[in-house]
Amino acid sequence: MRTLLFRFAVAPLGLCLVAASSLWLATAKNSSDRVSSGLLVLYDFASADGAVVADRSGVGRALDLEIADLEAVSRVEGSIEVTSATVIKSPGRANKIADAVRLSGEITVEAWIESSSANNGTRATVVALSPKSSQLNLDFDQFSDRYEVRARTTETGTDGLPATRVEHNTSSEGPTHLVYTRDRTGRTRFFIDGQIALEESVAGSTEGWERFPFGLANKMDGESPWLGSLHLVAVYRRDLLAREVQKNFLVGPDFRVDVTELDDSAADVDLFVTEVAPLFAEKCLECHNSSRRSGGLDLSKKEAAFAGTKGAVVVPGDAAASQLIEQIDKGAMPLGRPPLLASEKAMLRDWVNGGAIWTLDEIAQVAHVGPEQANDVWVQRLTVPEYIATVQSTFGVDISEDAANVLPSDQPADGFKNTAYNLNVDLGHVNAYAQLAQLIVSRLDVEAFAGRFSESQSLADEKLKALIDQMGSAILRGPLEAEEFSLYQGLAAAVVSSGGRFGDVVGYLIEAMLQSPRFLYRVEIQRGDGSAWPVGEYELASRLSYIVWGGPPDEELMAAARAGELHDPVQFDRHLQRMLKDPRAVARSSQFIEEWLDLERLENLQPNSEMFPNWDPRVAGDMRAETLEFFRDVVWEQERPLTDLFNAQFTYVTPRLAEHYGLETDGLDSDSEIPARYDLSSTPSRGGLLTHGSVLTIGGDAGSMVTRGLFVLEELLFSEVGNPPPGLDTTPPPTSPGRSNRAISMERVRSASCGGCHSRFEPLAFGLERFDGLGSYREVDAHGNALREDGSILFPGNAQPVAYAVAAEMMDLLANSERVQQSLTRKLTQFALGRSLVDQDEPFVEAIHQEARAGGFTYASLIKAILNSDLVQTMRTEA
Amino acid sequence: MKAPRISRRTALRGAGGILVGLPFFEEMAGASDSEVPVRAFNVFFALGIPMPLQTEGYDGVLEPLKPLREKLLIMRNVDQVRCDEAGINAHFDGASGAFTAEPPNGEARSGGPSIDQVVRHHYYPDGQPAGVVPTLAGGTYFRRSRLSRFVHSYGMSGTVAAAIQERPRDLFDRVFGTVSISDGSPDEGKQRLRRSVLDSVVEQYLYYTGANSPLGAQSRARLANHLDRIREFEQRAFTPRENASDQPQLPPRSRVAHGGYADPGGEGIDMVLDDLTTEWRLMADVYALAIELDRVRFGALTFLAAGERLRITGDYEYEGRKVFEFDDAGQRQASGSKGCSHEWWHDFDPERSNKELRAHAHMKMREIGYFLKRLDETTESNGKTILENSMITVSTESGDGRHSDVKRELSGVFHAITGANGRFKTGEILDVGAEGLDVYNTMLETMGAAYKLGPSDRERQRIDAIRA
Repeated sequence: MRTLLFRFAVAPLGLCLVAASSLWLATAKNSSDRVSSGLLVLYDFASADGAVVADRSGVGRALDLEIADLEAVSRVEGSIEVTSATVIKSPGRANKIADAVRLSGEITVEAWIESSSANNGTRATVVALSPKSSQLNLDFDQFSDRYEVRARTTETGTDGLPATRVEHNTSSEGPTHLVYTRDRTGRTRFFIDGQIALEESVAGSTEGWERFPFGLANKMDGESPWLGSLHLVAVYRRDLLAREVQKNFLVGPDFRVDVTELDDSAADVDLFVTEVAPLFAEKCLECHNSSRRSGGLDLSKKEAAFAGTKGAVVVPGDAAASQLIEQIDKGAMPLGRPPLLASEKAMLRDWVNGGAIWTLDEIAQVAHVGPEQANDVWVQRLTVPEYIATVQSTFGVDISEDAANVLPSDQPADGFKNTAYNLNVDLGHVNAYAQLAQLIVSRLDVEAFAGRFSESQSLADEKLKALIDQMGSAILRGPLEAEEFSLYQGLAAAVVSSGGRFGDVVGYLIEAMLQSPRFLYRVEIQRGDGSAWPVGEYELASRLSYIVWGGPPDEELMAAARAGELHDPVQFDRHLQRMLKDPRAVARSSQFIEEWLDLERLENLQPNSEMFPNWDPRVAGDMRAETLEFFRDVVWEQERPLTDLFNAQFTYVTPRLAEHYGLETDGLDSDSEIPARYDLSSTPSRGGLLTHGSVLTIGGDAGSMVTRGLFVLEELLFSEVGNPPPGLDTTPPPTSPGRSNRAISMERVRSASCGGCHSRFEPLAFGLERFDGLGSYREVDAHGNALREDGSILFPGNAQPVAYAVAAEMMDLLANSERVQQSLTRKLTQFALGRSLVDQDEPFVEAIHQEARAGGFTYASLIKAILNSDLVQTMRTEA
Repeated sequence: MKAPRISRRTALRGAGGILVGLPFFEEMAGASDSEVPVRAFNVFFALGIPMPLQTEGYDGVLEPLKPLREKLLIMRNVDQVRCDEAGINAHFDGASGAFTAEPPNGEARSGGPSIDQVVRHHYYPDGQPAGVVPTLAGGTYFRRSRLSRFVHSYGMSGTVAAAIQERPRDLFDRVFGTVSISDGSPDEGKQRLRRSVLDSVVEQYLYYTGANSPLGAQSRARLANHLDRIREFEQRAFTPRENASDQPQLPPRSRVAHGGYADPGGEGIDMVLDDLTTEWRLMADVYALAIELDRVRFGALTFLAAGERLRITGDYEYEGRKVFEFDDAGQRQASGSKGCSHEWWHDFDPERSNKELRAHAHMKMREIGYFLKRLDETTESNGKTILENSMITVSTESGDGRHSDVKRELSGVFHAITGANGRFKTGEILDVGAEGLDVYNTMLETMGAAYKLGPSDRERQRIDAIRA
């Protein structure tokens, strides 16, 4: 469908051209004045000779063009005149244009031309992204006395018809600046010499764009030669604004490209986030943090860093007056460490002189150290649960038991099993994928499955092609590439020629698709210009479904992707809300809590039999079930804020677990193996995740204060401590009469050599002292020492600890802590993305956090904030 | 040893529970008898040898390596301090630095490739001959909280080069096992079509790893690795098998714990010495057999994980003499993690005898020596043994287990290397006094590999003392 919104009368040609010429001739010819954001290719015809027209965009792999017939052109520096029919085209396919436009749903084509005739009496193609007229992405033509663009969408034919046409009598022989733009909503505009000539709406999306060659001055088949001079041709992956079109027009065609000026991706990088904060975190914050404040300086927060207590530490715009620069210049800081590198000093000096822009609320040390902060992008292989869910959802076949048996298990990395860099494959995977593919087909009614996509069981080419198209798109979670079509058609032909029937053909096709990288991996377009590109509709559908469900998009989501609806925030949210009501969302959230707390560990719990002679291994399973059910109840039944996980006064126990915990078992079905909801309002000592056996057992048999405290510090408070100081025997002494765990711990906390760090984390476990190594509650230990539950928490970023009298108060402090919320935000974001967070993510994570808080900090609000974030909506492309 | 030794000879004699016949091995083997392939293997042992004990030469804990001394270069004072990562003791980061000289880059990723993989990529940039497992990783280990504790072969991206096999049977299967693309049907037509299916799969991987792939560099490398595994799968699936009359025996089933059960919350497990060494020697036998039959040229073998926690019991003998009676928990009068042999490393005191630690370290050298001797049994066409022809690097996570001084802990990390077909000196004990990066880069350069480990702007120092 095509709706004409505006058709602008173009000024009388002569007047317009005079005005235009005088405008652009009068301005500076500097490439930096041109719009570069979103540029894909740029031809300025700088070279006066040779058969190659260089793509001088500096973006990704250059898409150079070759002149088919050098005799047909005349080259001068800055333009090329086509004097007789030829074609100037890319030797290969223009992947970077097709991929980018398919993802963005937007495009701008810009050309400075001088036609040999104002009315050529025929169709002549200026810019082509198509092999032939009947199959194109886009053709930009001069058609007699006007301009016309055929751009393919999901609603047009493959020939791009109906076309976008400006009025008659608009083409001319003089220098003319032509711009065609289209945005994601279908708004299409045509500009001539900076003025808008046409605006209309063209329905559909660019999802179907294929990887065709790119060419100038003709179609690829040589059927529509255009004659005249080309001064500049550029393609952008976005819809340029009217003022940007005008800006390019004013620069004019006669300039020289400085590629380095065009590469503005580096300018987008936030110096503070990527350079300054990591340097502070690595070299300064160990001493100059909120709690230690060595020398009275806290470099973790802007106000504290800028103020200092002994003068101006950082004076924005004046490095010479800043103590920070003075100290590092003379090597006084970092104290006792090697001095900063010259490049690091220079960077800090530049940062201060540049205004010392500080873009984070707080530099959290742990966010900037550890795993390399490189911008490496790994394709995500389906984890074992994701593979099972994908098969179940796509085919309705339950393969869980077989897959668990034959697929190598995924190994955790950086806390989760879906960390992409660690999702390797070995021979065992390949063998398992092949075996499982056969098994899935054997359990599938293949003809009925094929019937979902085509009523026909014909093996005729066209029918089969339609089936491959529809079925492949469903199994591979998006439309097939042309190469894939050919591949599957070839396979089908092989089966048919072997005497195979329709069912056999479909079966082997499914086997092949099940082993395709498109099925086993979440393939996305990752190559671009180094900047973040919006992900495509189908990619967004997959991101949405794998994050929320841990499985593939359903038919409704695929339909929305096909219709190009998912970049519409309203539609996106509608699908999200629908999906959050699905049991698959609950299952996915269980995977998160299971991996975060490493509940799998409970299967292998082997407590010391002398310390725990009555241990029943089934209790470990009950502990796991307790945590999963409790999480489900808080998150899904009650839809409470996630921080309520730390102080909700109920739990789920079997009678066996209740007895183990020392809870009353009245009211529990003594024979039940299923955990039942248990009200803890009259048991204030217990309540919240930290009082679950699943968490308490991380402290080992002795209920180590160190291990439990470190868990709270690292997992809930998003912080860390350094190594033990030199000369320390790290073996904790055993408890004895008069010397409880707490007493031993306090010795460390008060020790001059240990207290600096141990005071930060051991008190975090004091409220758990009454829980033994297996989570049972007692008020005296084996030696008769009285156990306590009071303590204090030093929240990272705060100068003073907060005291609590009983365990329940500690749980309330944690539940009310924004730091704990931030930690949960980070954990869920990492799990959703399938990778560790890096420096560049920090501003986005902070935005996610604030949006989730505004939404009540429920699981649903946090997931929604993550999905709305650029971390999900865009892809960091590789140049 | 209770378990039978697995060798080329026993492989020929085997009679039951069989996977693959020797003729099949030889058909699949990559090199002809006249070639001596370039090989590089990393051999890791846990917990290290405190620097003062290394100075005792072959009279102390290194005694079991003495029979091989002419074929080894012992390197002391190798400095891995740059591998230290704040907030973690050296078991994890020291282990990650073994064979890479780089700190970890995440829990399951090193900061760079390991030396075996650099050599592999230099000599076989387009893959190894058909039938050769690209990288073989195996080990007997129990503590598994982080992969870097026990995986010691890292690809060029720093991610693990191959999934590690922790059971001798799994290792055997990885090297010698067959795969089938058949659903059990003898129908040749079905076989042909399955091959067509696989061909179409290969085509897709070629597309997604090729110039027109939409994927970034790391992702293409990941899929290229997947494609390599598919080709290996194809090769095994379609190579015709000989009759099964002369197939080797499978290794016996493991008697020790595996998977999550082997590491109950870091608390350690009880271990009978004989069970441990039986398991390890089976693993070592299978690995050595794979090398002997030219089924593997690169990889890593692990004897116990970094920071391993075992409560070992049993008499420890060497060359017919009783060296020590292991009873960690009893001798330490402690249970759980505190009763583990690991604690002897925490207690190390150069002023004391450290007899328990010495016995454990001696035992580890005996077991490392077992593997090395296996490689010294086969003479190749150039008259040297596999051990002499290969670049085998033995190392560990630290040079002092007290966790009390990072510099001390990581500055004297034990290393031993073999001659690599005359490229490196052997028969010496050398105080190299250099960074691991310089030692490894010298090794790589001597092997002919141009790639350099570590930061590009770092000033490098070649350690000529280790070159032949």
